[in-house]
Amino acid sequence: MRRFSELNPLAATVYFFCVTGIAMFSSYPPLMIVALLGGVLFFIVRNGSSHMRSHLFFLLLFIILAAANPLMSHNGITVLFVMNDNPITLEATLYGLNSAAMIIGVLYWFRSFTQIMTSEKLLYITGALSPKLSLVLSMALRYVPLFSKQSKKIKDSQTAMGLFSDDNIIDDIRGRMRIFSILITWALENGITTADSMTARGYGVCRRTQLKRFTFRRGDILLLVTSLLLTAITAAALSLGKLDFSFYPAVRYSAPDALGICGIAAYSALVLLPVIIETEVSLKWKYLLSRI
Amino acid sequence: MLVIKDKRLRNAIRIAVPFVIIPAVTILGSIAFDRKKHIIISLAVAALSLLLFTAGFEKKSTGTRRMVIIAVMTALCFAGRFIPFLKPISALTIISGMYLGGEAGFLVGSLSALLSNFYFGQGPWTAFQMLAWGLIGFFAGLLSEPLRKHRALLIIYGAVAGVAYSMIMDIWTVLWYAEGFRTDLYIAALGTALPYTASYVVSNVLFLSLLARPFSEKLGRIKIKYGV
Repeated sequence: MRRFSELNPLAATVYFFCVTGIAMFSSYPPLMIVALLGGVLFFIVRNGSSHMRSHLFFLLLFIILAAANPLMSHNGITVLFVMNDNPITLEATLYGLNSAAMIIGVLYWFRSFTQIMTSEKLLYITGALSPKLSLVLSMALRYVPLFSKQSKKIKDSQTAMGLFSDDNIIDDIRGRMRIFSILITWALENGITTADSMTARGYGVCRRTQLKRFTFRRGDILLLVTSLLLTAITAAALSLGKLDFSFYPAVRYSAPDALGICGIAAYSALVLLPVIIETEVSLKWKYLLSRI
Repeated sequence: MLVIKDKRLRNAIRIAVPFVIIPAVTILGSIAFDRKKHIIISLAVAALSLLLFTAGFEKKSTGTRRMVIIAVMTALCFAGRFIPFLKPISALTIISGMYLGGEAGFLVGSLSALLSNFYFGQGPWTAFQMLAWGLIGFFAGLLSEPLRKHRALLIIYGAVAGVAYSMIMDIWTVLWYAEGFRTDLYIAALGTALPYTASYVVSNVLFLSLLARPFSEKLGRIKIKYGV
């Protein structure tokens, strides 16, 4: 088995859209809690105890989002207390907590997704969709470091010629604008030269190939099939109304039957899938190390 | 669309998506989800329109030079997003749309949103950002004649684009937070976004007035020199 980040990007993307799609689609509190906990757990499994500042930021955002709804909306029948002549209701508070759990959970999942989806994987996926678009994207990605390098070169030469000074703000802005202008002229000309060189070497004659090849192996197919199957079970439970939960005017829900419980279990399994894969790989690695 | 090999099927999809699938998704979605989950419908429509545009771009025989210039502009937008407080991305998108055509404007706007979000945080809002910035570039391309002639009009377009971008993104914020659209939340979201809206408007006006003329000279020069 490979690490989750080494699996085929297409399978990983489908997985992420399944998890976040269900989280955004339903508003059933247990599913939201599972999505939030799973997202946090996966992020911590991948990053350890680093990224403390983003955890703090998410915690703050959670509090703000959860507090926003009871302050803005006064629906609901159970009044907790009255603030500035506005009733704060239990239902609105619960609704705010539920929405905040959903949003923060999805944010955590996308954080991990952004870490896993490196630029070459993005190019692999867009390449399947449209090779031309993938070419534009890959060139733009390459240009960003190139431009910053070139702008440093331009700045150095301008300073050496005595044309750039940052004594006061007006001179500074003027100098920066000149550097930017020179950079753009250079970038456009360089782009045309690149394009001509590409045409001369036969770009567009046959299909484009990728630098890194991703193939569908057994693990990828397994991940794809498992995530689609588990999503289908949860979606079935959702669409048949087994996992309904309404907040207004009073909290009302029906106890989930067999299918509803299956849906919750399937979603929990789906959310825990990458954590299981990562743990299995690390255990295996440890075991192999200890045998040496 | 490389995945679909059959040419007739591809053409059928290209006609079906805007005229059949998008209206069907909107209508069926609003019936099936009981006005609750507008977010899913709007996400699906945004993704479908982006897909449609990609398919159109793939079909055309765009010259290599044109594609490289689009990549250059996208990279400039991406790099520009690192400037604190002021965001030149809309201004550069408008300029690309004006001088390179609506399609190029759409591509520069949407691709720079996609790329820079890999740094600033990817999320479900990416599709909306791509669409919003893409449309700003696309309309700049449609209005390129008057925008090029009248400078005041260009500045006004930049200011309107800044406000419109903020309003589109706030619709998305409300849809994500609450089930369905709620006016009170929308007004609150617009209120809290006011500093951002102001910064969009200021940076659009500033960068358009600073960059429009030099860019037109440079792109014009490239056109004459290389005959793009």
